[in-house]
Amino acid sequence: MPRHIHIVKVHHLTLSFPTAKNPNPKPVLDDVDFGIRDGEILGLIGNSGSGKTMTSLAIAGLLPESANIDSGSIKFAGKSLLDMNPKERRRMLGKDIGMIFQEPSTALDPLMTCGKQLEEVLTAHKESVMEPEERHKAITDMLQTVGFTNAEEICSRYPHQLSGGQRQRVLIAGAALLKPRLLICDEPTSSLDTVTTVSILGLLKELCHQLHMTILFISHDLSAVRGFCDRVMVMKDGKIVDKDTTSDILNNPKNSYTAELLTNARLDTRILGLTPAPVDYESSPVLSAKDITAGYGRSLFERVKKKNGSTESDTKVLHEVSLKVYPNEILGLIGGSGSGKTTLIRSLLGLLPHSGTVNITSTRVGAIFQDPVSCLNPAHTIKWHLNEALRASGKAKEIKGDGTFDEKRARTLEWITGALEACGLGAEYLSRRPNELSGGQRQRVAIAMCLIQEPSLIIADEPFSSLDASSSAELLKLMTTINRERNTAFLLITHNIHIVRQICPRVVVMSNGRICEEGNTEDVLNDPKSEATSALLEAERKLHGI
Amino acid sequence: MQGKAGYFVGKLIELIVTLLLVSLLVFAAFSIIPGDTARVMLGPDASQAQVDLLRTQLGLDKPLVVRYFSWLLGILTFNPGTSYAYNMNVGTLIAQRLPVTLGMSAIAMLMVILISYPLAVLSARKPGRLGDQICSVIGHVLFAIPPYVASLLLIMLASSVFSLLTVGTYVTPAEDFAGYVGCLLLPSFAVALPKIAMSFKFLRSSIIEQRASDYVRTSKSHGLSDLKILVRHVLPNSNVSSITIISIILSDILGGSLIVEQVFNLPGLGRLLLSAISRRDFPLLSGIVFYLAFITVLLYFLSDIAAAISDPRIRLK
Repeated sequence: MPRHIHIVKVHHLTLSFPTAKNPNPKPVLDDVDFGIRDGEILGLIGNSGSGKTMTSLAIAGLLPESANIDSGSIKFAGKSLLDMNPKERRRMLGKDIGMIFQEPSTALDPLMTCGKQLEEVLTAHKESVMEPEERHKAITDMLQTVGFTNAEEICSRYPHQLSGGQRQRVLIAGAALLKPRLLICDEPTSSLDTVTTVSILGLLKELCHQLHMTILFISHDLSAVRGFCDRVMVMKDGKIVDKDTTSDILNNPKNSYTAELLTNARLDTRILGLTPAPVDYESSPVLSAKDITAGYGRSLFERVKKKNGSTESDTKVLHEVSLKVYPNEILGLIGGSGSGKTTLIRSLLGLLPHSGTVNITSTRVGAIFQDPVSCLNPAHTIKWHLNEALRASGKAKEIKGDGTFDEKRARTLEWITGALEACGLGAEYLSRRPNELSGGQRQRVAIAMCLIQEPSLIIADEPFSSLDASSSAELLKLMTTINRERNTAFLLITHNIHIVRQICPRVVVMSNGRICEEGNTEDVLNDPKSEATSALLEAERKLHGI
Repeated sequence: MQGKAGYFVGKLIELIVTLLLVSLLVFAAFSIIPGDTARVMLGPDASQAQVDLLRTQLGLDKPLVVRYFSWLLGILTFNPGTSYAYNMNVGTLIAQRLPVTLGMSAIAMLMVILISYPLAVLSARKPGRLGDQICSVIGHVLFAIPPYVASLLLIMLASSVFSLLTVGTYVTPAEDFAGYVGCLLLPSFAVALPKIAMSFKFLRSSIIEQRASDYVRTSKSHGLSDLKILVRHVLPNSNVSSITIISIILSDILGGSLIVEQVFNLPGLGRLLLSAISRRDFPLLSGIVFYLAFITVLLYFLSDIAAAISDPRIRLK
């Protein structure tokens, strides 16, 4: 057996967040012990809150100030990191350890061009004194390495002028600029669509070989490590519960928790026991939209500037999209980023001015969105949110009925609790506030807020994308249950084709603001007619190995 | 660059429409005030014929619309007419008094920025520490003191306790610029005090918010020092949101100066305004009010432009 040189060695690390009230809290990291071998790609998998990010921050030296390392040590290339002073550790960042993070949309300073921000990496390290031309060359070279053909142009652009995938590439370029030996990737792809994810993972792997980097890859998605990582560690409640080569972990999990994660990651309806309700396509649709055209306004000046005939198509994001959702149906809507899915939803919900007609047979349409964190008001309790939804639905009077104030209140409370319990949260959650809930629980509250109005259609815009595998599986179970038991139709927007395959009888594929394909899910996904569908399927196959 | 021009043109149109609305409001307000200007000017003993004659002379017998447009034309060409009470051109009157009010506002604004910025940066370094808490408490107290109370307290402190600055005197900038600034220092400070607290509180929370943002984390992972992150990323970003607040503070200061100069017995616009109101001096009154409104609207316009220049997301939509 070859002798592996560990570039990072984490030795029995225990970490906690002591407060004045609670000086000995439950440790966030509990006796974490592992090594990262030189040149490997090590995956670190676990649900949210399992301590993955804290582990990486501890290695990078970016722990929050309130964190306290109770015991253990971290060695980087033989040097003990915890004995260094803050200045020495800071010097290692960017030079020896590079990092990229989850959310590329906010990870760049909006006021500074990408080129300037990359230049800061070079100027922050005094050891590498360079002339401005040299710096510029290093930056454009690196931007080309990460796949930009127009490196010069990217340098002069502001972050908001780039797409999510492009921003993540810029961030990777920044992290790799000084060719660090270790690159820590904290869920770098979780907010990107499948096609972009595949290309970013490919890029990381290539960089790893080209620059002889070691990668610590953190993810909550077990399937994302397939074909990417050499070894995988599984974390749960601050402990490493499983550690093996990727193929062994995926094909032959010895640990029961790993097996559970795998099942959830597959989101296999046959294992979870999910079947959607049967759909009657003869009945009149709950939602029918015809010839929706919509776009975002541009400034007067830009409209004048673009007068050479192409004015319309430039500002329009949607072009004559027609769509029908039948009762009881779970209709899947897939497409890459920028294909106009979210714009369509906003038009359907009447949040965006559009031309064309939208007919919804019921007045009651619910919507849940991608990010459950910012959808709920942090100042109020769950009970307040549900009450608010009830008031907005116009059903409050009907439910309260007649009687004394107390009777009315009791009936309202009963109704609210009913909706919450239908979403798998007990009455004890009524008094909690959003920040006391996990991402999955918040998404449940969002669904409960819809259910209160007894909608005939719920529009769900990427509800899984910010959830880990277990929460996604739970949410999926909840959605199919609601679909079966309450005869609620769903319009499910997702970039996870795997989910669509399992629970949507019919699917619509969007690309460039148009519907390029629609029909029976099996037919569309097994025999794609359009290029966009093929590209999505190809990316999915690469990523999940299906 | 071209998108920028479009944005500025849009803002300019906004500015003009706002000013027209302001002019309409100012004129309407003075037309609604009860009381006959000619009667007030001539006193209770004048005969009806005398009053009617004066009304014709002043143009008060013409219909409202005609009066509005002739007034608007006058005010837009910086020739708002002759003051009834002083029998002088309103423009000249205002120009005489403006250095006091504007000078005071400028000094006060400078104080706000010079004091609140460093304090906010220091305070936000370690939120919750003793220094931060002391600053916050003092801030709350200052916030609650109206400028005229602060003026009285400051007059007492300066004149009877320290006898440092001469209170109640005024030197024009042409005579002695240092003396001019000197006699405005104390009143400016009185106006600035609550605004320092306001700006401090806002900046502090804005800096704390920006420090927790994702791009600061990225910069840290790039190995930038805390100082560099503060200067290059945190401050510019918190400035973008502060620009609006600063413009609001500036217009508040302008209003506050009018009152404080009364207390300090300075010959500024405030005193002129009061006498114009008591004498029903419409040309003077409307002139002062309109030009002050003009300055305020212009400040907001400039702050919008400044925000656009500092924020590429607005500039390059």
